[in-house]
Amino acid sequence: MSSAQIEIQLIASLVAIACAIPGTFLVLRKMAMISDAISHSILPGIVIGFFITQDLNSPLLIFLAALTGIITVVLVEYIQKTGLVKEDTAIGLVFPILFSIGVIMIAKNANDVHLDVDAVLLGELAFAPFDRMLVYGVDVGPKSLWIIGTILLITVALLIAFFKELKVSTFDAGLAASLGFSPAIIHYGLMAVSSVTTVGAFDAVGAILVVALMISPAATAYLLTNNLKRMLVYAVCFGVISAISGYWLAHFLDASIAGSITTMLGVFFLGVYLFAPNKGIIAVMYREKQQRIEVSLLTFLLHLKNHKEKSERHVNHLNEHINWQKVRSKTVLDLALKNNMIYIDKHIVSLTEKGEGFTSKAITYIITNKDAQIEDMKDDFFLFRG
Amino acid sequence: MSDKIAVKVDDLTVAYNYKPVLWDIDLEIPEGVLMAIVGPNGAGKSTLIKSILGILKPIAGSVEIFGKPYAKQRQIVAYVPQKGSVDWDFPTTALDVVIMGTYGSLGWIKRPRQKEKKAALEALEKVGMLPFKNRQISQLSGGQQQRIFLARALVQNASIYFMDEPFQGVDATTEIAIINILKELRKAGKTVIVVHHDLQTVPEYFDWVTFLNVKKIATGPVKDIFNDDNLTKTYGINYKVSIQE
Repeated sequence: MSSAQIEIQLIASLVAIACAIPGTFLVLRKMAMISDAISHSILPGIVIGFFITQDLNSPLLIFLAALTGIITVVLVEYIQKTGLVKEDTAIGLVFPILFSIGVIMIAKNANDVHLDVDAVLLGELAFAPFDRMLVYGVDVGPKSLWIIGTILLITVALLIAFFKELKVSTFDAGLAASLGFSPAIIHYGLMAVSSVTTVGAFDAVGAILVVALMISPAATAYLLTNNLKRMLVYAVCFGVISAISGYWLAHFLDASIAGSITTMLGVFFLGVYLFAPNKGIIAVMYREKQQRIEVSLLTFLLHLKNHKEKSERHVNHLNEHINWQKVRSKTVLDLALKNNMIYIDKHIVSLTEKGEGFTSKAITYIITNKDAQIEDMKDDFFLFRG
Repeated sequence: MSDKIAVKVDDLTVAYNYKPVLWDIDLEIPEGVLMAIVGPNGAGKSTLIKSILGILKPIAGSVEIFGKPYAKQRQIVAYVPQKGSVDWDFPTTALDVVIMGTYGSLGWIKRPRQKEKKAALEALEKVGMLPFKNRQISQLSGGQQQRIFLARALVQNASIYFMDEPFQGVDATTEIAIINILKELRKAGKTVIVVHHDLQTVPEYFDWVTFLNVKKIATGPVKDIFNDDNLTKTYGINYKVSIQE
């Protein structure tokens, strides 16, 4: 690996981490589309900043762009508050207009500089190592690395300091307000961090990939855990893995790095969406199948409990009595046998003691619906896991 | 009940988009009562609580908690929002939600530690939810979620409790469990204010009641003012206490 390759992967990884952190909270706040809006509407801020400083990496440019991001959020909320249009419409109104203003400004004034619409949309990660940071004439690495590194440090510091406040205001804004943690301050703080991160990542990965890096890792992590801290860690991991694997995909396909990273983000999400242990599609389908069988089992046990007469409990007549197909009856019969719920004596099926107890408990549950009583049943029985 | 006034509301007017939802409310809630706020849908019951707690900004009027503005009295006030106001798919556990109740006394930046965790476990015990402490909150039933919210308020160890429809969508057992805890709070000298829907249970559960329909209709002891006259004034139809809602 050349040093340029390492630098590119390092920049991509830091961008991924910096995006995943605010992204997690945006996803939980159901504000994913706001990141799309911010990433596009900061363009006029970047262009104006560039006209003033003639430097794509100047702090003033980052400040101006972040300010445009905040203005976007304020505008969206203002339009929404009038009650004339809904939030998604307000977002759809605001950011294309701001973005277009940026596009026109580039076309009119910046034709001969490194600022074109392609770069804005997809970024120029491959060129990032060429723009070096010099301290007293000494090369200390690519400028993008320093910029995103600084932004990441600030983001992590803010996350650690205000984790509790972010959590409570995201979960329950009413409680946060009544406890004295102004949800407005936290909201705009998060918007500010999202804007600054977007600006910092923009030059490297462009407006479209920024959105993907904010939303995809968080959405993927959301499917894997019920713990906010773990969700943050998983999101960061998915971001970094996608960044690095995406880089190599681009390397072998000789394709756009930004496009490849986004593709990997999609691949990882799809994989988790299918195979996640609890929330994944396959797990859900498996659970539903199990539940169907268990409902059948319970119906079968109830039938045995309700009928003392032998004719109703003969193995060969069970099909007719419960009106099931043979295969299903067989599955259920086997399951009940395996769990020692029933025994078969001269082709007559009877409940064992365990079967009796289980059935009574299940009936009580179904009638009273008291959750606490069946806590101990939940472990070995799918049906009650809710 | 003491002679002290726990909550004093003066000339409170709140509007959404210039349409008043609460109009010139004057209200004095004595310390130590268990009070129901009743009124039809859209009467401004939740709005009244949210305005007292500073979650909504009134366009006129003032609120005092034991003679001081709410911002100075946060520590002694606990709030149970409507269960439907939060996303129960949020990645967190029952215990964690209860610990959130301690955030107010911690203030900014400081984190909850062992002491806060212990208090939260005790509160979970009180509402009978200790076995569920590590359960993801979306895996709880409606009644259990309401108990978690109640535990979160209890952990604040406040003097005044505001609850927005704590009995909505809960089973009979949970309703009895909750009302017993509320009565215990009153016994301990706390003031409890509950937005309530079921008029049938008002005389059984509460000792104080406020009738609200944009304007305040009446407020006082249940035995004195919970009558057909006030119900009719509030609900706008000829109302009999004995008739099912």
